[in-house]
Amino acid sequence: MKTVDIELVNRLGLHARAASKLVQTASRFESRVWLAHGDKRVNAKSIMGVLLLAAPCGTRLVLEVDGPDEEAAADTITALVADRFGEGE
Amino acid sequence: MSLTLTGIGVTTGIALGKVHRLTPGELALPEYHLEAGAVDAEVERIRRAVKRGDEFLSGVLERVGQSGGETARELLEAHRLIMQDPLLMESACDRVREHRINAEWALAQQGESLQEEFRRLDDEYLALRREDLEQVVNLIQRELAEQPSALFSTQVPHRLDDTILVAGELTPADLTVLSQRRVAGLVTEHGGPWSHTAILARSLEIPMVVGVHHALELLTEGESVVLDGHYGAVLVNPDDNLRRHYSEKQASSRRHRSEMQRFLSLPSRTADDKSFSLFGNAELPIEFERCMQAGVSGIGLMRTEYLFLDGRLPDEETQYRAYSNALRAMGGRPVTIRTLDAGGDKLPDELALTRGPNPALGLRGLRLSLSVTDLFRDQLRAILRASTEGPVRILLPMLTTVEEIVQARQLIAECRESLRSEGLNIDPELPVGGMIETPAAALDVHNMATELDFLSIGTNDLIQYVLAIDRQDELVSYLYDPAHPGLVELLARCVEAGRERNLEVVVCGELAGDERTARMLLGLGVSRFSMPPTQVAAVKKSLVEASADRCRRIVTQFQSRGGRSGTDLLEQLRDEGGAR
Repeated sequence: MKTVDIELVNRLGLHARAASKLVQTASRFESRVWLAHGDKRVNAKSIMGVLLLAAPCGTRLVLEVDGPDEEAAADTITALVADRFGEGE
Repeated sequence: MSLTLTGIGVTTGIALGKVHRLTPGELALPEYHLEAGAVDAEVERIRRAVKRGDEFLSGVLERVGQSGGETARELLEAHRLIMQDPLLMESACDRVREHRINAEWALAQQGESLQEEFRRLDDEYLALRREDLEQVVNLIQRELAEQPSALFSTQVPHRLDDTILVAGELTPADLTVLSQRRVAGLVTEHGGPWSHTAILARSLEIPMVVGVHHALELLTEGESVVLDGHYGAVLVNPDDNLRRHYSEKQASSRRHRSEMQRFLSLPSRTADDKSFSLFGNAELPIEFERCMQAGVSGIGLMRTEYLFLDGRLPDEETQYRAYSNALRAMGGRPVTIRTLDAGGDKLPDELALTRGPNPALGLRGLRLSLSVTDLFRDQLRAILRASTEGPVRILLPMLTTVEEIVQARQLIAECRESLRSEGLNIDPELPVGGMIETPAAALDVHNMATELDFLSIGTNDLIQYVLAIDRQDELVSYLYDPAHPGLVELLARCVEAGRERNLEVVVCGELAGDERTARMLLGLGVSRFSMPPTQVAAVKKSLVEASADRCRRIVTQFQSRGGRSGTDLLEQLRDEGGAR
């Protein structure tokens, strides 16, 4: 199990397009992936779960990954978030 | 006091029962509890529906390709994510297991609960997602409805066997539910005989009368009624005599139908050992199922108008789906798909400009398709794409000139080329046939045949055009004669043209589906008949018991002697055309 603190730095936070990218990315890995925000903890492979976090810009999240490819998964997802989901701003 | 209400009969058939006035919301999705043993199968239904839904979406996505723009792609991707989301599918499966409820119910509950959570968020971006969620749930529900649970008919709490349902209007979806509940008969205040719902009622064989004005006011809950689909009548509080008369009539027609069933398993050979083939006419999924049950050799006529009745034009994808479903339902047996055969009068407003003063003689059938080529291309592409799922034949309706065939073939070739450039190889030999239904086409059939791979005789329109009578017009209906010497001569001409060029000749329409006229066709040398699945047994009986040779002699004699009345010919075929 790997736990990483991440911060949403893109302008809109986890809105629809960003959430889709996150879910698509998380789904590529075999490991189970969760995102936690306050007392909410959701499956990061569930688009609706991620949307229901309703996390705006500046939110701090905890990323939890558990499984055979947890290192790679955690790195890739962290990079995606840091890259503002490729929105380029 | 007895009262008779009249409307338009949609399905010939009789129903007796008590009035039930439909209350709003009553026909929502099926909701019922399961036996413990049925839970796994129900979970499996959800998984299958989701899988098919996902295949559908990825198919659309593939079609959209690069040309569709980023927004469309993203939306479709989002729908796929929602479709596979464990919060939707897995949670719905959990509900099935925990509450022992059916798939539709569990899915609706889960969809609603997610909607509720989204509502609470009150975020502009998420409002969009709610609509997406609804669309995805509807897509899965549609897949579930297409493969209803076999359990449903036995599990549902209130069956409607003795009920005549009265409603303002009914949708095709309503009808699906009602048919599963075994409703006895239907009465609606609105709607015409060619609506989606009416067409579905006919194929489900549910007696139905539409256009009964004020039915909801005039009929009282629980009142006893007889519904006569043939005359479009609703008899209220019938006395004992009347009721007995109708139940006997109903029973005898049921008996007759079940006696017919045994002919379905016999080989398709006449008494003098000539082989023939029976095909089905079908348009809706249920009809393909019925055709399979009747053991047809394939579909001789798949109409496609149903797809266009929705008030908007179906896109290529919708059509592709319908055609490939049909092919799959027929499990490798050939399906002849007729391109759109409607006039602008029956089509959505987009085609308002194509409406002329007389629809029967106007821009309809292939004429319409050739004038609105974008529409035609969509249909052709959908048919060609579906041809990778099974044997397909294209049938062009309402031909008047050879030139029309040449143009249509040109478009087919273009569509095939464009599909090839998209990486899909379509059989260049895919048969293209023509519907011979105008007198011009029948008279010029030898020329037509040079450009066609098979001939299909559309007898309903041919009779109407040859005799110049409108079947709906009671004032001239006395002239209707399915064995009019002029018609017989034209039919003989078509058969001869087919023989000359070694082309298959299939007869569709009423003449093929009527046991009396089927013998006349046999006598003319026809060996392929296409008809609604309900008629297969009766026609098969008539042909199995017939002597092809004797029928041929009777028809030839009728032609050479200049027979006057078709009625005599049909009587003679019935009495003397059988094996002795």
